[in-house]
Amino acid sequence: MRILIPSVTLSVLAGALNGYALSHWRVPGANLILLALLLGAFIPYQVILYPLVKITSTIGIYSSLAGIIAVHILFGLPVMTLLFRNFYAGLPEELVRAARVDGAGFWRIFVSVMLPLSVNILIVATILQTTGIWNDYLLGLIFAGRENQPMTVQLNAIATTSTGEIEYNVDMAAALLTALPPLLVYFAAGRFFVRGITAGAVKG
Amino acid sequence: MSGVIVRGLSKSYGPVRALRGIDLVVEPGDFAVLLGPSGCGKSTLLSAIAGLDDIDAGSIEIGGEEVTEREPSARGIAMVFQSYALYPTMTVRRNLSFGLRVRSVPKAEIERRVAWVTELLQIGGMLDRKPSQLSGGQRQRVAIGRALVQQAKVFLLDEPLSNLDAKLRTEMRVELKRLHQSLAATIIYVTHDQIEAMTLATRIAVMRAGRIEQYATPDVLYERPETLFVAGFVGSPGMNFLSGSIGRGTVPVARIETDAIPLNGYPLCTSFGDSREIIFGIRPEHVSLANHETRGPVIEAETLFTEPMGADTLGWFQYGLQRISARLPPQRARGLSGKVRLSLDIGQVSLFDPMTEQRL
Repeated sequence: MRILIPSVTLSVLAGALNGYALSHWRVPGANLILLALLLGAFIPYQVILYPLVKITSTIGIYSSLAGIIAVHILFGLPVMTLLFRNFYAGLPEELVRAARVDGAGFWRIFVSVMLPLSVNILIVATILQTTGIWNDYLLGLIFAGRENQPMTVQLNAIATTSTGEIEYNVDMAAALLTALPPLLVYFAAGRFFVRGITAGAVKG
Repeated sequence: MSGVIVRGLSKSYGPVRALRGIDLVVEPGDFAVLLGPSGCGKSTLLSAIAGLDDIDAGSIEIGGEEVTEREPSARGIAMVFQSYALYPTMTVRRNLSFGLRVRSVPKAEIERRVAWVTELLQIGGMLDRKPSQLSGGQRQRVAIGRALVQQAKVFLLDEPLSNLDAKLRTEMRVELKRLHQSLAATIIYVTHDQIEAMTLATRIAVMRAGRIEQYATPDVLYERPETLFVAGFVGSPGMNFLSGSIGRGTVPVARIETDAIPLNGYPLCTSFGDSREIIFGIRPEHVSLANHETRGPVIEAETLFTEPMGADTLGWFQYGLQRISARLPPQRARGLSGKVRLSLDIGQVSLFDPMTEQRL
């Protein structure tokens, strides 16, 4: 949970901000940035694990809470940015122009005009990130350190103990408990999920 | 009140030159209309004046101040967009007051101004509704209201009526005219509808391919179009263009088909040689059926068909190898057939050079 909440909020907000900037402001080289992000989304985690370990240990956040959160945000960014960019690109450009004539700047437009419009897509992004980060095993195992191991790693530790009798009932209970949080998010927001995904798809 | 002065404005989108050296002076209190077909650069010019698009060259002055480098919000303008661009998540009241809240105008002042536009535009009943709950005409009013609360120096309107149905458009047109008169504001208005332009404007700039072809009052534009394009674009049904040549005698004559039409008193700008090619332009309302009392030139033509338009009927005639239309009273046009004699009102003719397309 201590990993999940900051990672999800930060990566979703960063994605929204990126998407907004890339779709409605003339950022120099916006298309290049987008292409780079897209490529980033295709690179398998395993390829950059070792460099990432080196980088995080150099800046001193390897094997800590900050480390795992930073890594999650980093890996979430390409997909989040794409999702939000496509959603925002579907919104009429005149909306931003009107707000500019009204005197609103970059941040004011983002907070007052864009974010209130993005409820659906925010929920979709939250669900995607929650499931993704909660289910993550590899990154958690490597970057989180002993103190902050995510549920998946702990579950594995319980289920694969080779000493003593295997208590299937305990394993099952642990597995169910682990699966609970994403399930709850789905139940709470499922209605928006379908709507948001199709909205993003059609308008993108 | 303040005017707008644009000097040498140019703007390109990649290889496409959207604006090629625009010079435009809008006097304080003018209702200036930018008129032209799609893609002529009229909306681009408006966004450049608003400061929403960067420009490549030239300068813009609003109310005597140089604003070329300023942000849209610092130019003293308010704008109405084609799609209205109301903020969908805000109520009408918050839509109206957004700009004022951004500028941290005191609360009492915001309320006073919102109350003023609400009264002016009669949108009192819908202040707490969202834009999605409003009809097209209501949204239009709110969009105009959002511009008015700014109490800007200059109002910019980008085809504000194009999304309304025909009847509502006529109503809003009258309302806009009334607003302009009561506010005495400077307005720059973009449209491709020449009727809107003619009815609303105090001055019209006809644009084509990034240039202003003519900038004049509606009357001058209609009666003395400077170029062939302006003549053809303004007026519905459009002007007749007959090709022929000019002849020099005691009076200049226009030779069209087999006729020689004397051009008594036509103020020819330049002197030119005999049998020079010309385009002879005459509006349908200046062509009438000839009778015994007709003086002035008469031509013979074959009736093709008639188009009843209510107040009058448009008659189409074959004149030699060319076609000519005439606006006729419906009673006289009924049952028209065969050969007819048409009288031309020479005082209302426009002659053009077919090469340069300029007025002669």
